[in-house]
Amino acid sequence: MRAFGLAWVYLRLGVLNELQYRANFFIAAFQSLLSVALGLVVLALVYSHTTTLNGWTESELLVIVGVQILLGGVIHSTIQPNMQRLVDEVRDGKLDLLLTKPEDAQALVSLREVQIWQAVDVISGAAVVVVGAARIAHGVGVVGAIAFVALLGFGALLLYCFWLILATGSFWVVNMGYLAELFEGIYQTGRWPIGIYPGWLRYSMTYLVPIGFAVTVPAQVLTGRLHWPTVVVALCFGAALTGLTRVFWRVGLRRYSGASA
Amino acid sequence: MLRRVPGVVHVSELTKIFRVPEREGGMNAALRSLVKRQWRDVHAVERISFDIDAGEVVGFLGPNGAGKTTTLKMLSGLLYPTSGEGTVLGHVPSKRERDYLRRMTLVMGNRNQLQWDLPALDSFELNRAIYRLPREDFRKTRDELIGLLDVGDLVRKPVRQLSLGERMKVEIVGSLLHLPQVLFLDEPTIGLDVTMQRRLRVFIAEYNQRYGATVLLTSHYMADVEALCKRVIVIHHGQILFDGQLDALADRFTTTKTIKAVLADGEQVTLTVPRAETSKTTAQLLAEHEVHDLTVEDPPIEDVIEQVFAS
Amino acid sequence: MPRQEPWLRSMVDFYATMMRTQLLMQFQYRAATYMYTLGMVAEPTIYLVVWSSIARSHGGTVNGLTPQAFAAYYIVWTLVRTMNIVFTPYGWEERIREGQLSAGLLRPLHPIHFDLAMFAGQKLVWILMYLPIAVGLSLVFHPALHPGTVQILVFLVAIWGAYLIRSMNLWILGMVSIWTTRASAIFQTYVLTELLLSGRLVPLTLMPHWAQTLAAWLPFKWTFYFPIEVLVGHMSNLSLVGGLGMQLLWTAIGASVVAGAWRLSVRHYSAVGN
Repeated sequence: MRAFGLAWVYLRLGVLNELQYRANFFIAAFQSLLSVALGLVVLALVYSHTTTLNGWTESELLVIVGVQILLGGVIHSTIQPNMQRLVDEVRDGKLDLLLTKPEDAQALVSLREVQIWQAVDVISGAAVVVVGAARIAHGVGVVGAIAFVALLGFGALLLYCFWLILATGSFWVVNMGYLAELFEGIYQTGRWPIGIYPGWLRYSMTYLVPIGFAVTVPAQVLTGRLHWPTVVVALCFGAALTGLTRVFWRVGLRRYSGASA
Repeated sequence: MLRRVPGVVHVSELTKIFRVPEREGGMNAALRSLVKRQWRDVHAVERISFDIDAGEVVGFLGPNGAGKTTTLKMLSGLLYPTSGEGTVLGHVPSKRERDYLRRMTLVMGNRNQLQWDLPALDSFELNRAIYRLPREDFRKTRDELIGLLDVGDLVRKPVRQLSLGERMKVEIVGSLLHLPQVLFLDEPTIGLDVTMQRRLRVFIAEYNQRYGATVLLTSHYMADVEALCKRVIVIHHGQILFDGQLDALADRFTTTKTIKAVLADGEQVTLTVPRAETSKTTAQLLAEHEVHDLTVEDPPIEDVIEQVFAS
Repeated sequence: MPRQEPWLRSMVDFYATMMRTQLLMQFQYRAATYMYTLGMVAEPTIYLVVWSSIARSHGGTVNGLTPQAFAAYYIVWTLVRTMNIVFTPYGWEERIREGQLSAGLLRPLHPIHFDLAMFAGQKLVWILMYLPIAVGLSLVFHPALHPGTVQILVFLVAIWGAYLIRSMNLWILGMVSIWTTRASAIFQTYVLTELLLSGRLVPLTLMPHWAQTLAAWLPFKWTFYFPIEVLVGHMSNLSLVGGLGMQLLWTAIGASVVAGAWRLSVRHYSAVGN
């Protein structure tokens, strides 16, 4: 697929670019460590007052925290920079340049920015997941591991769709200034099992902001809580969301082109 | 030697040396630079001296990197000199005494000092409080300045909505509300269209006339200097090449004169001749051709300056 | 020398003008502010839900705090958090780059007044926007909130005390940007420490004892835990006033460090300039 070729090109560019700023690696590593430390401290604090949270043990919650950090790394290195740039360019009217290129616009706006050092979170998140998974009584088979990675990718796709829908909103509401902060705040909800949230909140976090699917479901694979019905629902939801995102994007793009003509 | 009565600006052996890290391109150099930093001394301003009296409008001419902006920054207190001394209105600028800051202003082309999202009028009010200007005096000055620069309809719009030229005019109003006695103008007309440049020059001349303020102006537009400054200081590589009257500049630096003639058949002729041969060539021209118009001039100042900097 | 207005009068004028203009501007950017508020509300809601959940599975309380007490804590938290938002070191980096620091140095007024006045003006709008949020959250989570008059009065002063302390602290961190481009790392460490020791993450009484002792010696507690406790807790009048005194002390300490560090930083900046 053309998109993968594009992705590879932009990835190489991004890496070459960032390699210039070596110090950024240390900064990113430091940030990542702080973030992991915070997650661990909070967990320790919570579990100093209880042994299970909504039925989840400390090790199991460690897996969730790890997945959240890992996916956070994917978001901060690939998804967020692109979406932020899209919103900025719509606001400044600079998107036109991109629309003249012969590639699919959605692919271009989604792939051109790569902040490779943020991907450090992927490594530290993975480390946390491994530690958590190792401490769970029953092991994880090969099938489980593969399913885990697949569902991680799927989760990333869901979060990408969510971000793109938000960013597409900027075609209508020009000032989407605090998008990043808004997302960060909501994303933090993913650190906890969605079962603890009251009903309406839980449903919003699953379907409205698909954090539940993106974070908890992969974690459920490793903690042995995953049920087939959930996977099916998740996959159907994902397909629908991807389709919806594409349609919404096309509509927004038409509006933008029409508006500035 | 008679000690000169100190004027408004007194600069003596002023020097500024910057230490900059040296960095080459390429992966190896980048790696090396992580371990050991190389430094290089840049002599931005090298032992310059001059004095400026009250009410003078002095132009600093020089190419980019000559040291003009660095000098202005030292005189306004933004940079510490490496050595030498400079005083303005009796104050040492780098001490940034409140009294000094209230009597001077620095305007840099392309830099905003007004609040971006607010109408200029609001920023003016802020400046009134900052400079502790009594309301009545402030209003009078403000309205005068707004009238002089004709920005009445611009001051109610947020600054970010103004064009570059409009923003510059409004910035200038803001920076003169406290009626400073010394104006440092760093490339004030940069990026403006010709009409705006002319407007600004007229205004600066007016301000100087009206309030007797001392003006130091840097520019690389000759037109600015020609219009406003009788006295010009030419700086190149951090050193003063010339300090004197503008019309003496050509005399000092050129060895040629330009003869322009319009001949009988309408043909226009321009001759560049060595100074010594001016009258001989003129006589020859008049003798051999029918001439309808003739002028003998110094070469254009731009060419003079270009020659100076090329050397 | 031209005539001058008395210093105090000018300062009042300055703050009044700045706050007035900020008020108007914030109303203009309502949508963006609402979005920001929404993202911000997520944090205390999460904490609230987590601790309530723990409390419920442990016979109704954690360290004596019921879900309703947690609700009260975290709902008031939202307002206190808003008062804590001030100019960050990231803003400083931009400020230096854009030449605004130089512009500030040319004016006969300490630049900190710009930040203090500007954010104070914004806070007024944010306080107004907070009220409907507080009402909404209260309807969902049923907080146990019955403050007395004295408590409310002290609270109104304490939130500004928090604002001042944090403004000073972050100004100090901001000045670090004049010395190094890596101020963000220091800032993030600060935020992490503050998160744990200020009462932002959890009421301090839930932290291990050694952490509580440490927090007593640091300024963080007075920017978060103290103002919240004033309203939701049961402090004696003496400790209420004593707390205000501590806020004053920490503000004074912060201000002196700012003054000294500023002198040094200006000298450093003026050696190199921008």
